Amino acid sequence: MKPAAFAYDDPRELDEALTLLAREDEDVKVLAGGQSLVPLLNFRLARPDRLVDLNRVEQLGYLRREGDVLRIGALARHADLERSAEVAGGWPLLAQAACFVGHPQIRARGTVCGSVAHADPAAELPVALAALDARFHVRSVRGSRVLSADELFLGYFTTALEPDELLVEIEVPAPPAGSGSAFVEHARTHGDFALAGAAAIAAGAEARMALLAAGPVPVRARAAEALLASGASFAEAADAAVAELGLAGEDADWRRALLRELVLRALEEAGA
Amino acid sequence: MSWVGRSVPRREDVRFLRGEATYLDDIELPGLLEGAFVRSPFAHAQLGAVDASAARRLPGVVAVLTGSDLDAEALPVGGVEGGVVAAAGHPVLARKKVRYAGEAVALVVAESRAVAEDAAELVNVDYEPLEPVLDPRTAASAPLLHDDVAENALLRWSRVHGNVDGAFAAATAVVGQSFHIPRLVAAPIETRGAIARRDPAGDVLTVWCSAQDPHRPLAQLGHSLRRDRDRLRVVVPDVGGAFGSKGAVGAEVAAVAAAAVELGVPIRWTEDRTENFLSSYQGRGLDADVELALASDGRILGLRAVLYADLGGYLYPTTAVAPHTTAMLLSGTYRIPAVSVEIFGAATTKVPTGPYRGAGRPEAALLIERMVDLAALELELDPIEVRRRNFVPPDAFPYETPLGWTYDSGSFERCLDAVLELGEIDRLREERDRARAEGRVVGIGVGMYVERAGGLWESAEVRLEPDGRVVVRTGSSPHGQGHETTFAQIVADELGVDPAAVELVWGDTREVPPGVGTFASRSVAMGGSALVTAARRLTASGGREASARFESGLVFASGAYLAVVEIDPGTGRLRVCSVAAVDDSGRIVNPLLAEGQVLGATVQGLGQCLVEEAIHDEEGQLRTSSLADYSLLTAAELPAIESRFVETPSPLNPLGSKGIGEGGAIATPAAVANAVADALAPFGVRHVDPPFTEAKLWRLLQGGAA
Repeated sequence: MKPAAFAYDDPRELDEALTLLAREDEDVKVLAGGQSLVPLLNFRLARPDRLVDLNRVEQLGYLRREGDVLRIGALARHADLERSAEVAGGWPLLAQAACFVGHPQIRARGTVCGSVAHADPAAELPVALAALDARFHVRSVRGSRVLSADELFLGYFTTALEPDELLVEIEVPAPPAGSGSAFVEHARTHGDFALAGAAAIAAGAEARMALLAAGPVPVRARAAEALLASGASFAEAADAAVAELGLAGEDADWRRALLRELVLRALEEAGA
Repeated sequence: MSWVGRSVPRREDVRFLRGEATYLDDIELPGLLEGAFVRSPFAHAQLGAVDASAARRLPGVVAVLTGSDLDAEALPVGGVEGGVVAAAGHPVLARKKVRYAGEAVALVVAESRAVAEDAAELVNVDYEPLEPVLDPRTAASAPLLHDDVAENALLRWSRVHGNVDGAFAAATAVVGQSFHIPRLVAAPIETRGAIARRDPAGDVLTVWCSAQDPHRPLAQLGHSLRRDRDRLRVVVPDVGGAFGSKGAVGAEVAAVAAAAVELGVPIRWTEDRTENFLSSYQGRGLDADVELALASDGRILGLRAVLYADLGGYLYPTTAVAPHTTAMLLSGTYRIPAVSVEIFGAATTKVPTGPYRGAGRPEAALLIERMVDLAALELELDPIEVRRRNFVPPDAFPYETPLGWTYDSGSFERCLDAVLELGEIDRLREERDRARAEGRVVGIGVGMYVERAGGLWESAEVRLEPDGRVVVRTGSSPHGQGHETTFAQIVADELGVDPAAVELVWGDTREVPPGVGTFASRSVAMGGSALVTAARRLTASGGREASARFESGLVFASGAYLAVVEIDPGTGRLRVCSVAAVDDSGRIVNPLLAEGQVLGATVQGLGQCLVEEAIHDEEGQLRTSSLADYSLLTAAELPAIESRFVETPSPLNPLGSKGIGEGGAIATPAAVANAVADALAPFGVRHVDPPFTEAKLWRLLQGGAA
């Protein structure tokens, strides 16, 4: 279980990293926490020509509040979300979601931006960030752009990031004042990959929900949100949240029931 | 004061916890090369040409070897009493055909493992795929895996005792049930591996391997490489878990040993996790049809069973042992006058099966204990009462079962009473009924077990050193059991010394006398008794050293487990709320370590109930081939586990010990399966096969078929 050979760079500056990513003659991958990439390398499922290791680009290692927004730099770890007083106070959903990411060792190394760029629909943080209307700041030698979750996540393990682009920061606006939040998920064992999950932010009849492992991308349950706003019950909203999901496979009936149950529990917990 | 019976903490843990243990991968030798295997992507295929020219050209590659390059015979096949086994030993590297996905076809030897893996990818193998054979129930009419093994029958065995047809004709009721017990992966933290080096002086081949003992590797490699004890030495370093999976040497170990001879260089192979899933032998894998003939008062008049064992592509030396043990223990703790049991051990295009903690006994306990609960359901009797009416009584020992083994000792009803008291059965039943009235899905289950342990023989040497140390050489061999602690306790009592003065030597065929090893929960009963015998000889002779070879018939540990479960109707999730465990392992040398064995075995039993299942797809590919797909329980999933011991001494050895290593893995699935069936009974569900996964239980609660 050894990776195929690759070239390796560990730049100190962001510009240097972006220049390396822009090499057109090579398949270049970014290494940050390595919690998804390194297993893929060892299984030889990923075989990049070159790795650009961001860990020495110190300017990317931040997690800070600026006014009403939280800024998560490319080297902020899951554990930073778990431990931050700012996050606990202003964006509790992120801390609630981060607790479900693997085990402490994984959270100590894995990065928030890395999880987003990996785009596993069963990952916790992309779902929480979708519920929070996060904005994703992308840089390349060609310039920069900002994407929403809907624009960024295109499919299973697929994002709108071009090969030369780096997700440098996630900007998270503050949730509605007075809102509660909850993140619930179902995995076979503690720390295992989730089979289903739901994030909810609720302030009275105003609520936002996103579903985990419910499709190829994090699924924002907008129809259910609209129903709640017009006075529907949590149970009716939970029905609506799973009604349109294109679930397939032998366990689709159970997964739909499971997702409905988790949406309901997340709403009850967030609204309580 | 005696040391035996005291909870002495494990002294070996200091070494392990400080990272000072020496596992196979920690060993360094000058000029050591690394091996990697080219493995079949097909479950069943004719093997054509192997083109390794590109691989050989890769810098750092020393050799690429195929089956015809190695001077080695297939590993030996092991039989079972009264059984007929096919001559289908595992080849060292595949010849002409591959019979499971992951079977080793070629061995690459290179300067590093990374280069060896690069080269393995460059080896081009021609395969002509054949139809996979997956179901042991229909394997007899499937394409043959081995031309000379008719009906794919790797093992046939049957036994009839008493008037079975008469018992069924006279029965008030007959209950029958079909079972599927899936394959499991042992998944020790340290995977398998070996280092082989041939010393040209004297032509001695030394093989270091991660194994349960050095003796069976010595015999198996000796057979395969045609080397006697004088030209072969096996050394077992510290071992990071085995659970049965390192009892027989893997074909890969023999390949590395043969390659070291062929090439004249030292070679290491450390199995990676993917290889461990694909090619380390798996446990369980049994289908069964069982019937009980019953009198109206719940007495069992007769038992009929056909077992279809999913044995895989070849027979490892111990492959036949598990189904044979299942068959021999099918009467469990009960007196059953008439039995008929048959085994069809099927060749299937999967990795072979072999012993995994419990090794046939968990299957036996699950089958008979589920059948007793089904009998109680049929007759509308209390399942606990049905057990009482059928137990082998305490005055019947030694008791020869209808299947032919002789239980040395046991107090089955006392174990049952003890577990009911420990678990507070009356309170549990009240709580269950109250929970059900609230709409919750709760069940209680009991599982009895009998565990064949000990048997054969074991060796020991005890020597008094001038500096006061007592050096003990044992044929037994630890891989997590705590021999250094318990064996020192045993010797300390016999010689009147402090356990700290006792030094244990094991695991090297040059250093220790020939022995048998550590499996079947036999270390204390056999290895410990050999120590007692040697120490007593030493005392009697007044000399400085003595040795012993202790022989004994089988001993039978037993016990009773009680499990409470609750199913979440919203998700289907099964929660095991509590397990009460009563084990009768005879005399307990160290209660602390014994409880550790109970806890560890119970957790593995729970894993089998909750999440573990090796799943092959219709092409014979293992779908659960990594820890991302095959779950192991974590501490977060564990219920409260309460353990107590009943000590009915065995008359067959001086310690009076039986075995403690596997009871939890044997009885827990039976107790949980009964609890799950109890929980689902109000929904009209009669039986569910393990594992009790969410989707399966949720569907049953919706009124559908599992």
